[in-house]
Amino acid sequence: MSEGRNEGQKPQPGATRTSGGVDPKLLEILVCPLTKATLEYDAERQELISRQAKLAYPIRDGIPIMLPEEARPLE
Amino acid sequence: MAAADIKGPDTASMRKAYARWAPVYDLIYDKLTAPARQRAVSAALACGTRILEVGVGTGLSLDDYPENARVTGVDLSEHMLRRARRKVERLGLGQVEALAVMDACRLGFPDGAFDAVVSQFVITLVPDPEAALDEFARVLRPGGEIILANHFGAASGLLAGLEEAIAPLATKVGWSAAFKAERIARWARSRGVAEVVSLEPVFPAGFFKVMRLRRFA
Repeated sequence: MSEGRNEGQKPQPGATRTSGGVDPKLLEILVCPLTKATLEYDAERQELISRQAKLAYPIRDGIPIMLPEEARPLE
Repeated sequence: MAAADIKGPDTASMRKAYARWAPVYDLIYDKLTAPARQRAVSAALACGTRILEVGVGTGLSLDDYPENARVTGVDLSEHMLRRARRKVERLGLGQVEALAVMDACRLGFPDGAFDAVVSQFVITLVPDPEAALDEFARVLRPGGEIILANHFGAASGLLAGLEEAIAPLATKVGWSAAFKAERIARWARSRGVAEVVSLEPVFPAGFFKVMRLRRFA
């Protein structure tokens, strides 16, 4: 069973998110809500890619939208 | 308005009424729910610092958590989460580690990622509460707790009568009188992954309750 996050790593307030980007701590712990498998981060397209589910979850204004119905299907 | 045309005049007038009352409503809601929220937060912190709050909305509860907590907040509404994020930025809430849009029944976190899962005034609104509870239990570490703050309907007595009277309003804000705590206890018994450790009435007059369920180690 995965523990998800490492203990003792407290992010600095205000230093956790680059403007327009996504919190790196969040990227570490997010998995695909359908397959529960790890995701690939596409910084350019601002998407989180689930290979197994063949879906790309959008990140809008730094907020990951982890809803399959909002995701872009991958061919 | 296009949406009003589809849904009819009732929805439009309700929206108008809500828009007029929203500032007062938020203030009253904040004050009424504060004791329940504080109980939920202290119960969560007793489990550890890695806390997931499901249904974080506009972030009403985010500053209830102390600075040493590491809170991840999720909500189904992107619109509400944007407001929550503005609040985090405005108040510099370092305890809020992340915000993401998610369905309570399909959480995008690995097994055992959190010490506590807090859900306030949400579980009675979820279409499939058992599926949501399954997910809450999954993302909890063994021994971690699900903490639900809610209005759970009273089975009988004076409070039940009062609930009937305010039912139309209560349903709108997620205080459904029809949803009984027993349904959650039944879930725990049938799944065998968690047990109810307490169901504590809080202000005002026990109208809200904080229910704690511990995941088996």
